[in-house]
Amino acid sequence: MTVALSTHAGGIRRSRVTLRKTVVSCAALALTLLLAVLLLSLIGSEPLPLKASLCSLLSFGTSPCGLTQDQFDILFQIRLPRILLAAAVGGSLATAGASYQALLRNPLAEPYLLGISNGAAVGTMVALVFFGANEWSRPVLAFGGALLATLTVYRLARGRAGATPERLILAGVIVTTLLSSAIVFVTTLMDATRIRSFTFWLLGDLSGTSKTLLPVTISIAIVGAVALTLHARSLNLLMLGERDAFDLGVEVGRVRIVVFVVASMLVGSSVAASGSVGYVGLVVPHLARLSLGSDNRISIPAAALGGALFVIVADGVARTVIAPRELPVGAITALIGAPLFIYLLKRG
Amino acid sequence: MLALPFKTISVRALVLICALLACACHSGRPAAENSTREITDDTGRQMPLPARVDRVISLAPNLTEIVFAVGGGDSLVGNTTYCDYPAQAKAVAKVGDSIHPSLEAIIALRPQVVLISTSSQLEAFTRQLQDRNIAVFVSDPHDLEGIFRSIDQVGQILGQTEQASQLLKSLRERVDAVEQAVKQTKPVRVFYQASGEPLYAAGRDAYVTDLIRRAGAISVTADVPGAWPKYSKESALAAQPEAIILPTGGSMGAANSTVDESLRTSPAVRSGRVYKINDDYLARPGPRAIDGLEAMARALHPEAFKQ
Repeated sequence: MTVALSTHAGGIRRSRVTLRKTVVSCAALALTLLLAVLLLSLIGSEPLPLKASLCSLLSFGTSPCGLTQDQFDILFQIRLPRILLAAAVGGSLATAGASYQALLRNPLAEPYLLGISNGAAVGTMVALVFFGANEWSRPVLAFGGALLATLTVYRLARGRAGATPERLILAGVIVTTLLSSAIVFVTTLMDATRIRSFTFWLLGDLSGTSKTLLPVTISIAIVGAVALTLHARSLNLLMLGERDAFDLGVEVGRVRIVVFVVASMLVGSSVAASGSVGYVGLVVPHLARLSLGSDNRISIPAAALGGALFVIVADGVARTVIAPRELPVGAITALIGAPLFIYLLKRG
Repeated sequence: MLALPFKTISVRALVLICALLACACHSGRPAAENSTREITDDTGRQMPLPARVDRVISLAPNLTEIVFAVGGGDSLVGNTTYCDYPAQAKAVAKVGDSIHPSLEAIIALRPQVVLISTSSQLEAFTRQLQDRNIAVFVSDPHDLEGIFRSIDQVGQILGQTEQASQLLKSLRERVDAVEQAVKQTKPVRVFYQASGEPLYAAGRDAYVTDLIRRAGAISVTADVPGAWPKYSKESALAAQPEAIILPTGGSMGAANSTVDESLRTSPAVRSGRVYKINDDYLARPGPRAIDGLEAMARALHPEAFKQ
């Protein structure tokens, strides 16, 4: 009890420092993100006049600044929405990753590795096959799939001795492979013409930016990141262990449900929009913790902004490197993410 | 002491595996000795063929169509679930679809030759078939002449050279007629939307790009590397095509029947020059590709076909 009290007393003084650190580092990241959005809006498979594009972007699209109608459409109808989607997807996946890692006290907990992305992918496929015309069915069923996968993994991981990190990863592997075979099964039932577009989507593809769903994906990313950041203090205490957190007044069950539901929403909406973009939820939170410390009040919002930054850069590469052809963004995030992760593992 | 028998077992296993491998390699030889002729397919592989071929399997709808068109339908002992033309093709034993054919089903049908479209996926597959004296012929045409070459070669394989050259003669006449008709017209700048969401186009190596040229048009994606590249929407919008071709309505059903959103403001859409053409003509490099050529030419240059 004395230990708990002293943590609490110190916490008040420390929380002011943390608040300042959070604000400063998040402001810096947000600024970088904004600059990156601006910069990446100037690069694409079609070269656009630099000055006019910049002027038009800074006027928020109110003035074409001498761009032709087509150039204006390329910038505001195709390129910018795609970059915004990339940011929303990256932010969502990294936020989900950071909060799973805190809640489950496992540095490897990530939507992709735990099979949660695959759950969302199966949900999206079911939506495509049965409610193909209805765009809204995709994120809704993807959310359902993600939540179901999350609960399954969690149940499987929780043995009599509680959820050990190893059990969790094993459960994730089982659910991932099970759902992968479900995906393969559904693709076999599909007709040939749809398989190709499907494989591209499965690898993570941002080219199919839907005008109706984009605002939803962005809103969910922002609301989700804020909601989970508000639970960051509880997550900090949970990192001491569920028992200690409970003793310190954390409603463990409620926090767990909030994280599972919100993170499933984040994963569901981003998978429905762009397929499975891997490694974001793993690499970005690790980088955030390495550079800013493991306090979730900093690392969760920092991961959200960093994830957005990571995916818009990766997609910038995907859409320009072999232009006018395109690569799936998931291939790029894996290409950057895997070596980076190996490096982090060796260093850690 | 315990390790010794273990070692012997593994050595024996190794010897056994080597022996099996050697058997597998040897079993491929007799074909070459029995064969009297050779044919070179589109991958550049030379393969021995038996003098008389009367058992073939086709793993692609276009090859099935070619087999029937050169009068070799009776020799076709197996094909895929995608093979739906001509009507008799539906009654032939199915060995799976083009993407997941069943090796067992193929071997059980004891074919002499298996006809395959494009060479991807099939490295291991080819070897397994060749080990059983089954020749694998790959067709991968990149232009109209390539399609004609496949027709000619399938005719040779099946011993139907007479009917194949008859067919080729009439197809060439139809191609000439189209080219004559569109000769005086101004080439139309065309976007060929192989699929939308995600957007795929016809690239440099697609036979469709050649068909488009012969139909009195220029594909705006004619210089893009590859056959069917995933295409940037920005570039599609910037290309400003005067006409758009949507292969749809055949096997694709209603898929690909709408123009990708990036092309909605193109001159083609504004002037109503969006043409839906049966994808079974355009997506199957066989005899009906000429129907596709005629349909494209008539759609793009109606004035040239008035009379």
